[in-house]
Parts: sequence; C-alpha cells; structure tokens
Amino acid sequence: MKVRSYGVVMALIAIAAALAAPLVADPFWMTLITQIYIYGLLALSVDLLLGHAGLYSLCQASFFAVAAYTTAILQVRYGYPTIVAAPAGLIAGTLLAVLYGSAVRTRGVYFILITIALGYIIWGAVYRWASFTGGDNGITNVPPPSVAGFSIASQTAYYYFVLTVVILCAFGYRILIRSPFGLSLRGIKGSESRMQSLGYRTTMHLYAAFVISGLIASLAGVLYVYYNRFINPVAASFQISVEVSLMAIVGGSGTIVGPFIGAGVFLGLRNWVSSFFELHTAVMGAVFIATVLWAPSGIVGLVERWRPGIGKPKDQP
Amino acid sequence: MTAAVAIDSLAKVFGGLRAVDRVSLEVALGERRALIGPNGAGKTTLFHCITGRMQPSSGSVKLFGDDITYLPEHQRTKLGMGRTFQITNVFTDLSLAENLALAIVGTDRRKWVWNRPLSAFPAVREQALAGLEAVGLKDRADDPVKLLSYGERRQLELALALNTHPKVLFLDEPCAGLSPSERQRIFKMIRALPREITLVMIEHDMDVALGLADRVTVMNRGRVMAEGTPDEVQSNPEVRDVYFGHV
Repeated sequence: MKVRSYGVVMALIAIAAALAAPLVADPFWMTLITQIYIYGLLALSVDLLLGHAGLYSLCQASFFAVAAYTTAILQVRYGYPTIVAAPAGLIAGTLLAVLYGSAVRTRGVYFILITIALGYIIWGAVYRWASFTGGDNGITNVPPPSVAGFSIASQTAYYYFVLTVVILCAFGYRILIRSPFGLSLRGIKGSESRMQSLGYRTTMHLYAAFVISGLIASLAGVLYVYYNRFINPVAASFQISVEVSLMAIVGGSGTIVGPFIGAGVFLGLRNWVSSFFELHTAVMGAVFIATVLWAPSGIVGLVERWRPGIGKPKDQP
Repeated sequence: MTAAVAIDSLAKVFGGLRAVDRVSLEVALGERRALIGPNGAGKTTLFHCITGRMQPSSGSVKLFGDDITYLPEHQRTKLGMGRTFQITNVFTDLSLAENLALAIVGTDRRKWVWNRPLSAFPAVREQALAGLEAVGLKDRADDPVKLLSYGERRQLELALALNTHPKVLFLDEPCAGLSPSERQRIFKMIRALPREITLVMIEHDMDVALGLADRVTVMNRGRVMAEGTPDEVQSNPEVRDVYFGHV
C-alpha cells in the first residue's frame, strides 16, 4: 500500500506542477514544455512495444507524420474544420499501423530492420511526393484548432489542451498495461514459447499492441501539427524514430512517466547545449551511453534505487 | 475407446539426421506414460512435434481422436494439451501470481481484456493462489520469479502447465537438475495429480520414471525400442544393454 500511495502522491504533485506551469513560465518555456508532452506521448507509444512487448519499432515517426500530414493537408488545402481533420489524421495514422502491423510476423533484428524500411517508405513519400505533401517545404500555415466556433489559439490554452490529452492518455495507458492484455505483452517479452504453450496466439497480441502504439503515435502527431502549425518531412524521419526510443530508454522503459522524463531530459538538454556547443548531438550520445552503462533502467530506475527502502526486492541475484 | 494421444509413424528429419524415425505410440486415457532413452534418442524432439513446437516431417498426431498434426500450439492448449519445458521456461520478470494469471486466462477470452486491470478479476487471483499452494509456493505469490531458487522455479514450471487445465500433460524432464530432496518434492506433486489427467513424461531419473509410470516407452536413435510395464522394460535385455549399461 505504501508503494502505491507514493506513486499517487508523485503523480498528483506532477499534475499540480504542470497545471501551475503557465503561471510562472515564460513563452519560451511554455513552448518547450508543450513539446516535451507531445514527444513524451510519442515516446510512450514506442515504449508500449519496447518496454512491454519487447519489440523495438523504428517506424513510429511514420504514424506520427501520417497523422500530422493528413490533418494539415485536410485543414490547409481542403479547408476542412478541425472536427474532421483531427480525427481523420488519427484514423489515417492508425490505419497505417494496421497495415504496418504485419511486421510483427518477424522478431528481433528482423523486426527492427523491417520497421526501419517501412519508416523510410513514408519519409520518401512525404519528401518526394511534393505536389501532394509540399516536399521539402512541407505544409505551412496550419490554423489553430477550433471546435464549434471555439478556437484554441493562445499558447496557454493549447498547453492546457495538450496537458489534458496527455493526462487522459496516461490514465488509459495505465489501465491498459495493468490489464490481462498488458500482462500478456510482458509475458511475450519474457518468453514467447511459453506463452504459446499457455494458449496465446502471440502474434495477434503483438499485432494489437502495434496498432494501439500506432494510435498513440498518431495522437501525438495530431497534437504536434497544431502545436507547430507546420509540418515537414523531418517529422517522418528515421531520426525522430530513434530519438523517441532514446527518450523512452533514458527516462525509464516499461514505466509511464519514464518516456516523459526522457523527453524532458532530451529536449531540455538539446535546447540548452545547442545554444553554446555546436556538437550538441555528441552530448546526447554521451548521455545515452551513460544511461546504458550506469542506469540501464533509466532515470526512473535510478530514482527507484535511491528511494529510501520500502521493502522492495532490489537485491537481484 | 479412443486413445488420449495417438502418434502414427511420426518422423522428424534435420538434414541427414532422422531425430525421430517413424515412431508410433498410443497413450490411453488416464494412463501415465514414461518416455526414457539415452541422450539424443529423440525424446524431446518427439515432444516438440506432439505439442506443436515443431512440425513433423511426416506422420500424424491425434489428440482424443482428432488429427492435430498441423494445429498451432495455442490451439492444442485449448484442446487440453499442457506441457512443461526441459529448460525452465517461466516469466522471470513477473511475480509468481502474475505467472499463474497468464496461465489461467490463457485459454479463455479474458486474455484479451484491455480496459480493466487484472486486479478487477478476484477469481483469477484466487485461482492463482490455489495453484501456487498446490506446488508449495503460496507464500511467495507476490515475489518476482527472479528471487526464486532453481528448484522453486521447477515447481512453478509445473504449476504453469497445470493451470491451463490440461487433460493430457506432457512433462519434459520435470526433475532435470534437481537435488535428490527436490526431486522427491516434484515426484510427490506429480504422483498426487488427479488420475483423469493423462501424463506423458520424459525422465532420466529411473526411480522417478518407473515409480510414476503405468507403462514405459524406451527410445533409442529416434526409434521406439521397447514398450511395456516398468517391470517388462527393466527386464528387457536389449533395454538393459543400451540404457542401464552393461558391465
């Protein structure tokens, strides 16, 4: 019980701090924090596969970008309202996950390779199909989201909107990973052969997880396009897929707050270091290596280790 | 009466090696069958072909009269086939209760529930605790498996297979690598199983195999060499030669 109340207290403190942030933070910080929530959500989608099902997907940027592009194109080029464009983006990204989900027929390094290839298909499409996607320039002038005549135009309003969506997602995700289905994913990660002999059609479970992950990534994509107000092929790039996986790992894979903490560390460091050091990506690399060497379960794992003992089995044989 | 398991001239070929060479055997309903033979005799390969881990090169497998030769493993489990692994195959990152929960919901629709936490299923928890009690691990229900000793993991291995509620249980060396006292524990657990469960068991330990089995099948070089009651097999000169060794 003690452990549980600790988690609840920490979650409430975090939510309170997030709600109060616009009162103290200036616009620069507001932009950064909103970005952290959106990338954190994308990292969370990666971690459903990585931290629970044991699949390392490197095409998450595809769902993110397809959702963002669909919303942007419908809204800017065809003038559809947000109420159509945003759900359409969500559906388009998720449908892509339904299609790409066939990758779960492979495992291990083959799965990684095939998702890289699938990711490049979308990147290539948005980059080269310039007449439709705007090519290098992407789609600009995406209007702020507006629903029923009410526009979420101000930065603070959009911040609260993103925060609400992220909190709802985190709660939904928490239920999902604690459900029998969520447990089955960890079972597959632990031993797929045993799961099969216990009666699980493991490929179907992984497929479902892949589609749910695609749905979360698509949601992040829709939030991103309204936050950024423009979208270009970088959103579909391999680099994004890698970065969000690193966020999940640095923050703490297999947890809910981990990917968000990872996003905060990653984007915060990048913003700060790039202001005075040209080789800032090298710093990110060093952080990642340090994580793998000294904190393999990420920042969350590090905190857990130092937390005053509450009868948790820490001493692993 | 239909046999629980009927295997007809089953073969498994790896390149030039006939690991299982036209093996036929029938296990009656409720029977306890031991499968013995020297290392490399093809016992585990035969097991894998019967339980669906591997596809046989030829021949057929029937469960309660139905042909299941090409059925995927998870469907065989639904039909009442359970198995343990020679190399302990449990979920080390999960707690014991979670291990059992996976086995309990694995054969019904609850495994797909995604919108309610596992804790909303008190029946699963209850069944998991009962399943752990049956193998003497109830006190450790909420410990992660990684804290268990090897012997305890073997007990959990057995509990996992039992909690899919098998009608036919395949045990691949349940006592592999255990100390004599731990062997005794597992031996007693297996002997205490209800007689309705048909047992097929690979076992190297002759006391265990012969103490539990109604009938014994001896394999050597991929073939069935002898079959009979424990006494018949023990007195078979050919079996004595290859298996028990001769002075």
